Amino acid sequence: MSKILKENVYSILIFLLLSIQAFMYYYDNRPTSKVFSKKNISVENFSSIVLSKSGLTKIGSEKLNKIDENNFFLQGKSYLENNQYKIYGQDISINLIEDTSHSKNSVQVINSMGTLDANGFRNIDSEGKIYFDGIVIFKSHD
Amino acid sequence: MIKIIFFIFSIFIYSNAYSESTVKAGDSLIWDSEKKTYTATGAVEFSNDTFIAYSEKMIAKYVEQGGKELFTIVELFENVRIELKDEIFQGDYAVYTRDDNTIKLTGDVSIQSPTRLLTGHELIADIDNNKRILNSANDESLVEVLLENNANN
Repeated sequence: MSKILKENVYSILIFLLLSIQAFMYYYDNRPTSKVFSKKNISVENFSSIVLSKSGLTKIGSEKLNKIDENNFFLQGKSYLENNQYKIYGQDISINLIEDTSHSKNSVQVINSMGTLDANGFRNIDSEGKIYFDGIVIFKSHD
Repeated sequence: MIKIIFFIFSIFIYSNAYSESTVKAGDSLIWDSEKKTYTATGAVEFSNDTFIAYSEKMIAKYVEQGGKELFTIVELFENVRIELKDEIFQGDYAVYTRDDNTIKLTGDVSIQSPTRLLTGHELIADIDNNKRILNSANDESLVEVLLENNANN
């Protein structure tokens, strides 16, 4: 018996090594039952261009949070710029489907008529209207 | 030298042609770029280099002229009070027209100056010609008050 073992020791050793390798391969590659959900994507110091009714609008922020395919949240200092207006504020929400953006924080808007300061805004691009809430001061270079 | 004087004079003329207007709203302001209007509500204050107006609501229309947008018509609603030099106009509704630089007030209208108080139902103030036309409630009498130029101006 010992003679047989001595004669085949290398074969047994190779067989064992191959078995361990096959076992490791199996555990490394078997499908996982965990589901990875990656709904929110954040980008810092972000700027991009989106197409809306007002034309091409450049958007940017300290941090962009993608809520879903159509909703973005511009966190921190943010801006929206196109050929009609420049909106500078912070924490601005954007809905690409409804062509809307809004913020409840202080905002400054510059257009070809003057400069406007308000405590928040709702921009409905499809209607060409921007609503400013609270105390609003608009200085025109009339 | 003449060119320099002409240049300085041109800058002076330009700066006066584009003097500043200010709109303050206590509640909200809507900028409608399609209708080309600004609608302000709640303790509204409109001022330019000529007068200051107060009301509860304001609709200002603008046009694009030479690459700039200018207020052409300013409508004021409810509790309208306009301060023009030493005069105070009050009424229910007012409309300021930039082209002819006039203010028309309707409703319970009054003109108050340091020396007199006149009331009526319609007032037309021609700012450039320093003329005021006040119509009475029954439309039968017309009061025209020509104001002397202020000695300080």
